[in-house]
Amino acid sequence: MFSRWNWVACGFYLVLNICSPDASGGLVQSCGHIIPESPVLALGSNFTALCILNESCLDFGNIYASQIIWKIKNRVVPKEQYREINRTVSSVTFNDTSLLATPLTCNILADGQIEQNIYGITVTVGLAPEKPENLSCIVHQMARFTYDMTCTWNPGRHTFLDTQFRLRYSWPEETFPDCIPKDVNNSCTIADIQFFVNTEIWVEAANALGKAESDPLVVDPVDIVKPLSPQNVSVSSGALPNFLKLFWENWISDTVMTLKFNIRYKIVGDTDWMEVPLEDTASPRTSFGIQGLRPYTKYVFSIRCMKEDGLGYWSDWSEEKTGITAADKPSKGPPIWRIIDASHSPAFWTVHLMWKPLKPFEANGVILQYEVTVRDKSSLSSPPKKYNVTSTNHTLQLLIGTYEVTLIARNSVGASPPSVLLIPANNSKGPVKNLRTLPKHDKLWVGWTAPNSYVLKYVIEWCLVSSSSDCIIEWQIAPGDVQGVDLKGIKPFKCYLITVYPLYADGQGSGQSVKAYLKQDRPSKGPTVQTKKVGKAEAVLTWNHLTVEEQNGFIRNYTILYKTIDGNETVVTVDPSKTEYTLSSLTSDTLYTVRMMASTDNGSRTGPDFTFTTQKFGKGEIEAIVVPVCLAFLLIVLLGVLFCFNKRDLIKKHIWPIVPDPSKSNIAHWSPQVPAKHNFNSKDQMYPEGSFTDVSVVEIEADDKKSFSEQDLKPFDLLKKEKSTSEGHSSGIGGSSCMSSPRQSVSDSDEGETTQNTSSTVQYSTVVLNGYRDQTPVQVFSRSESTQPLLDSEERSEDHAGGADIPAQRQQYFRQNGGQDETNTDRPCFERTKQITHANEGDLVGFVQLQISGQSSQPLGLGMEKNTQEAALSNVLQTCTEGQTVRPETVEENPLSVDEMPKSYLPQTVRQGGYMPQ
Amino acid sequence: MAAADSPSAALRRRDLCSRGIRLAGKMRADVVDLLDAYVEQQGLDASASVAAVEGVPLAAVERWDEQTGTQRLLENLAAYRAFRALLAQMLEEQREQLGEADAGLGRALAAVLLQVSAFTYHLEELLRLESRGIPGEEEDGPPAPPRLSLFEQKLRGLGVLRELAQWAVRSVRDLRQLAKPSPAPGAAPGLAESP
Repeated sequence: MFSRWNWVACGFYLVLNICSPDASGGLVQSCGHIIPESPVLALGSNFTALCILNESCLDFGNIYASQIIWKIKNRVVPKEQYREINRTVSSVTFNDTSLLATPLTCNILADGQIEQNIYGITVTVGLAPEKPENLSCIVHQMARFTYDMTCTWNPGRHTFLDTQFRLRYSWPEETFPDCIPKDVNNSCTIADIQFFVNTEIWVEAANALGKAESDPLVVDPVDIVKPLSPQNVSVSSGALPNFLKLFWENWISDTVMTLKFNIRYKIVGDTDWMEVPLEDTASPRTSFGIQGLRPYTKYVFSIRCMKEDGLGYWSDWSEEKTGITAADKPSKGPPIWRIIDASHSPAFWTVHLMWKPLKPFEANGVILQYEVTVRDKSSLSSPPKKYNVTSTNHTLQLLIGTYEVTLIARNSVGASPPSVLLIPANNSKGPVKNLRTLPKHDKLWVGWTAPNSYVLKYVIEWCLVSSSSDCIIEWQIAPGDVQGVDLKGIKPFKCYLITVYPLYADGQGSGQSVKAYLKQDRPSKGPTVQTKKVGKAEAVLTWNHLTVEEQNGFIRNYTILYKTIDGNETVVTVDPSKTEYTLSSLTSDTLYTVRMMASTDNGSRTGPDFTFTTQKFGKGEIEAIVVPVCLAFLLIVLLGVLFCFNKRDLIKKHIWPIVPDPSKSNIAHWSPQVPAKHNFNSKDQMYPEGSFTDVSVVEIEADDKKSFSEQDLKPFDLLKKEKSTSEGHSSGIGGSSCMSSPRQSVSDSDEGETTQNTSSTVQYSTVVLNGYRDQTPVQVFSRSESTQPLLDSEERSEDHAGGADIPAQRQQYFRQNGGQDETNTDRPCFERTKQITHANEGDLVGFVQLQISGQSSQPLGLGMEKNTQEAALSNVLQTCTEGQTVRPETVEENPLSVDEMPKSYLPQTVRQGGYMPQ
Repeated sequence: MAAADSPSAALRRRDLCSRGIRLAGKMRADVVDLLDAYVEQQGLDASASVAAVEGVPLAAVERWDEQTGTQRLLENLAAYRAFRALLAQMLEEQREQLGEADAGLGRALAAVLLQVSAFTYHLEELLRLESRGIPGEEEDGPPAPPRLSLFEQKLRGLGVLRELAQWAVRSVRDLRQLAKPSPAPGAAPGLAESP
């Protein structure tokens, strides 16, 4: 318990000692300190620090040197580096100071657990300065009497410490203030340096770890001067055309130093300088005359100076000054050439003389005018003609002949030597041989082999070949002893036509031409290919040549690349002279993509893609297929016709059944009062030609009215409305063809309507007139137009005798099944049945049997109308049978003639509007 | 004279003479320029007559061509030591009067003072080459100047510069005389030669 309280007290005391202000100075009273205090150490050296504890802390804190822990930053130094010197002193040793870091602290482990910092120091590690090397100085002249000396040196390695560099200099008996560099450590400038005394100059470098001095430099500052360049430079020209004099002023008086000079000059615009020999300007001077210059040429001059004995440095070049030499007469005549145009007249030439302006060094002044003299060589008696021209061309109209043209250029000083051009009547002399070109950087060299004869000179013409403009000729003259010239101003990627003419003393040789490029490139575009003709397995491609502007070089070949969508590309190389090519072995009915590439020596360019599809059939294949097919078809048709012809009776039987002529019918001999009962069993008699091939029976229940749709009943409603006057009398029989549609049946007044149905119908029916009320009905045979089945009563009379009430419940419809429009034929009849049913308020029996009963107010009229309608029906029946147009107007007209008609059946041939055999 | 006989000593003397000549020439040019600036700065008349400066040997001397080399060097040394002290005093007075107001004149004075010092060094070196003892400065130095008024200081300064300019001319001639090849030993005592 005591021990615990003791340790607590010790810790408390320790904290108080460390943290409480000192009574005397107000500073922290530490329990110890480190020796040395914030040392500066050489990098890589060893270092030992001591931590010394205060005695007072020992008494109250029970802390001893054995409890000391050394730390670098927050890292504990290994115990192996500690040494307990005594109970209050602990040391730590580092063999390599590069491992040190700041701060180095001395800590105590109070009570074995609480770590308290006792003291800390900052350790600075660096290097001693190296000896500065390579000290050199230069004295810059700043003004006329002001000289600054700037010395530079190599400061050596980085020391990691604050290192002071001082430039020191002294005379043997005079020491000057040090020059301390600002912001740098390798140079310093001393102002107002004094000459003519050997001055010792050295550099001193010092930091916390040491000091170093450079080797001394002993020099008289006047020997290391870089003077200011001469000022007020001027150039004057005298009367001589090749002389200029240069003047200047020196900044340095001869009492300080004497100077030598270096003069350079060049023609304005040139890049290279020429220099006056140094030995010519090695003595002090303020002017110098330069000779050997070109007349009337602008020169630029510059000058520099240095100490005459060669010690020190050259000054900078002075400002440039220009001067122009005096003019002189032109040194040579202008080169002259001509273009002869003989197209206007066979006897005259239009001669375009042209000459080049003299170069400045040839003109030697401003050319004021040219004098052209033309002498007719073929006519010696004629005087020469002279022309004064200010331009560089002149056009003459000359008779064809040989002429000598002389040209002189004149400036303010004098005239040039004459240039002579001989224009012969014809160019019959030998041409140059082996004309060739070769690009040389930005020039195009043109070479040739000289003719056998002596050549005075050569004229080289060239022009830029263009597809859009004429060839503008440029030319130059070469001496007769050369066999090649460099053409300047040639543009790359342009085609030039170059022609070389040899000029002889007595004539002119014919020109030889060659096309050339200074530099080739790939074409600027590719050819646009298209098809001229496409076949099944071949396609003819055409394209246009690239224009000369697009070629950018000599087209070496064309390459055609074509492929199908999923196929490999096929490549064909074509001669560049061609504009058409036929692709063969193509697949028929296939889409091909083709493009074309033009190639020069320097690359290729591909044109746009073009697609085409080969034909499915080759030439003549379609004809080979179509013609046999047509022939086969014709043959089949012919055979069919023959077959039909052979079988015409059978066909006629089915298609055009023979309709009996009613006028020839034996019914005409019937008695109207005693009509004979029709023998329905004798069908052969009724239809001797066997028009009916089949008969079917349709049974309809009397109560089956509801099975008829509303749509089916509509036509009857219309009929009811439009034929109200005849309602109940002519309904059902009313003049409508069985072949007619319900609408047609209703619209009897539509004269234009026709009946399309040509199906076979029932051609006769028996009209049974019931007796009025209890009267005995009169049975009347009437020709029926209806396609309705035969009346049940008639059938019943044959097949179901005695069954008088059966039709009231069940009706049987005969259905003719012999026509090809069987269904269509049946349906109108069926619909018409419904119509009639509707008109009779659903009494199908009354409809089927057309019972004329008491509901009709005009029974007789009805009977007559019935007859009238019957005639019309027979007409319609014929229409149905033969497919002829129905004429419903007959139904409308019939009532008007009812009174005039006999009240018995008459052959319809005697009645207007009656049945007429078709 | 043993040292003077050796080739290196001869080269050294020629070099010293050459530099001394050019230094004296530059010093004269600078002093002439400084005179103009000084007259203008001090508000003096350039044609003002100034009495001889006390303590400075006269540059003009009779029978100059009969002087030996050592005599020339000693007279030059005495004169330039006097000039050095006078110029230092002038520089001090200049700073007291103008402070930093006219730094240009002060720099020019300092430059001339340096040149005088350098020339003095040259003379001392030449005397050493002659194996002659160099007189002490105290015994040859000018007496302490009396306290002068400001105007008198200006006039004295003008006189110092004028005398220095004259001495510069003479020094050039003296050193050229010294730079000439030495006559055969025994032909003439010391550095005596004819100009």
